[in-house]
Amino acid sequence: MAAQWETWTARVAAGGTLTNEELQLAAASPEILALGMLADTARRAQRGRVVTYLRVASVDPDQGIDAAAVAAAGEVRVTGAYPGREAAEAQLARVRREAVGRMVTAWSLADIEAAGEGALPGVLARLRAAGLDGVAEVPVDRLKSPGAAVAALVEAGFLAIRVTVEKAGGESRLPLLEALQAAAAAGPVTAVHPLPLVLNPFRPTTGYEDVRTIALARLAMPASVAVQVDWPRYGPKLAQVALTFGADDIYGVPAVDAAPDGPRRGLLLEVRRNIEAAGFEAVERDGSFARSASQAV
Amino acid sequence: MIDALAGKVLAGGRLNADEALLLYREAPLHLLGQLAHTVRQRRHPEPIVTYIIDRNVNYTNVCVAKCNFCAFYREVGAADGYVLGFEEIFRKIDETLAVGGEQLLLQGGHNPDLPLAWYEDLFRAVKARYPSFKLHALSPPEVLHISRLSKLPVPVVIERLIAAGLDSIPGGGAEILVDRVREHLHCHTKATADEWIGVMRDAHLAGLRTTATMMYGTVDTLEDRITHMMRLRDLQDETGGFTAFITWSFQPEHTERGGMEATGVEYLRTLAVARLVLDNFDNLQASWVTQGGKVGQLSLAFGANDMGSVMIEENVVRAAGASYCMDELEIVLNVEGAGFVPKRRNMHYEVLGDPIVRERDVPRMLTLATARAEGDDSRPEELSQYEARSRQEKERRAASRPS
Repeated sequence: MAAQWETWTARVAAGGTLTNEELQLAAASPEILALGMLADTARRAQRGRVVTYLRVASVDPDQGIDAAAVAAAGEVRVTGAYPGREAAEAQLARVRREAVGRMVTAWSLADIEAAGEGALPGVLARLRAAGLDGVAEVPVDRLKSPGAAVAALVEAGFLAIRVTVEKAGGESRLPLLEALQAAAAAGPVTAVHPLPLVLNPFRPTTGYEDVRTIALARLAMPASVAVQVDWPRYGPKLAQVALTFGADDIYGVPAVDAAPDGPRRGLLLEVRRNIEAAGFEAVERDGSFARSASQAV
Repeated sequence: MIDALAGKVLAGGRLNADEALLLYREAPLHLLGQLAHTVRQRRHPEPIVTYIIDRNVNYTNVCVAKCNFCAFYREVGAADGYVLGFEEIFRKIDETLAVGGEQLLLQGGHNPDLPLAWYEDLFRAVKARYPSFKLHALSPPEVLHISRLSKLPVPVVIERLIAAGLDSIPGGGAEILVDRVREHLHCHTKATADEWIGVMRDAHLAGLRTTATMMYGTVDTLEDRITHMMRLRDLQDETGGFTAFITWSFQPEHTERGGMEATGVEYLRTLAVARLVLDNFDNLQASWVTQGGKVGQLSLAFGANDMGSVMIEENVVRAAGASYCMDELEIVLNVEGAGFVPKRRNMHYEVLGDPIVRERDVPRMLTLATARAEGDDSRPEELSQYEARSRQEKERRAASRPS
């Protein structure tokens, strides 16, 4: 297997990719560090040494909107489950008034699909017209057809498409990787978040599982797709280690760090320090993946 | 140069300080991990990862050392200062036995009102009640503190503690074994680097096995950490008394020193370098209690061969903000998930058997216990049998005496 890893590493260093059969072999290997090294090589060849991070203001339109958080954020995210199209349009109108010039995201595409309000492209187009810039979660493990769902987003005019995973899929990652690949093949996916967004406190995923998933996602995805790790869900330590296994974007850094003794700015320093201590260059971006003009912390 | 050093490690060569520093600074993370894993496999060809079921009990939080990286201590006379009573400690031992444990890791503050006799009486009482139960107790600075209080040389103190029931000594209080760093941390008065090494040498010569630790991430440099490892390696060459090495990052929350914690990648690099430098140590623990279960598990790919302790109770790291918990089942699942076979061990790293959770039902433990329940300010009756040294304790006793 050592010779195989070397062959693969040389190929991805030159900008090549693994076949699906090779991906299966890599996924089945217990050699976590060889896999990490391969994914890191692929990531550096495809994406360079920059790690982007995004500050997100989570807002509940029914509870009032924190103007300071919105001002600091690169993305304003409406929290809560999809409430149906009419209520969603009303929420978007309220948020849009406060979030001028900010990218607004909301809800899960699986919930929008499950609401059964008509053809998906049409529903999405109306939400977009109401001010939605991006669907926050596109969970390939819950959608009837990830490829069709991404195609619907494209048809509705969404530009920054973030594909996600809702629940841990167990030992075999191949169905998950295939679903991510199908989604990425259907349209211009900007980023994937391959780790589950719903965490099970009684059976959390392990560190090995997480970094293996990250590495395989990097190897399975085209060079144009960023591989994300969610900062608040996975914590600084795992998020940082994930960067060395192929992740290149940190999602969900709280726009305002409301510590018990008042807001602090240490969080941004912590994010940047973690990125730099892993050997990468930290760059803030906004929700559309444009790099932030201000790097002030 | 990195390739040459990697070749030297793979050929079984011993790194000097300069070589270790170069690898620490410049080797890619995955390469460091692969080298550390190779060295670990050489020492432990069987794919076994061990752990111990024991309980971290802190018998007192009253401390005169005042290390500025510690969030656990209370000053003498503080309202929330405590000393555990013998009965409280027995109850904790009963709970430990119930989940398959067989040892206490017993450490505490430098309390001026606990003389040598208190420790001797406690150890004897534990051994009388639980003859096979092990006491992994009193880090080198505590031994020094008792030596100073009792005006007895360290070897005599160790001899008396062994006679009372001490089984082994934990490697706490080492921090970084460089006095410049210790002065900054305000811990040089509790023990200088030479004094810490000296107590460990005396313990090894007295026949005790001990562990060694390193807390990094304050004012220390990479050079300081390598110096620390070299001092441990030298003593291990001399005595062979260390069973294991455990490193963790400074936990800043609620401490006087404050600041930011070193990152997870820095931890994995430090662990891997330790595996390469400490070529005469059999065992390296993963510090899941400071790094969390995920990086704790990943440590097994970076040179660790032991998941440390189930702990049951922990007070010191929690006081500084870390709140991770792993019960035996979760440790077992993490070990197996990393492709290893989990085995229970004792303090001497002798394998005791398969996981208890595979043999019988053990209740899940999703939070670690604490030394005392919130608001419990009771004082153990037996304390009054021992001479008080502090002014505050003398005054308290005088005030509580019937007029």
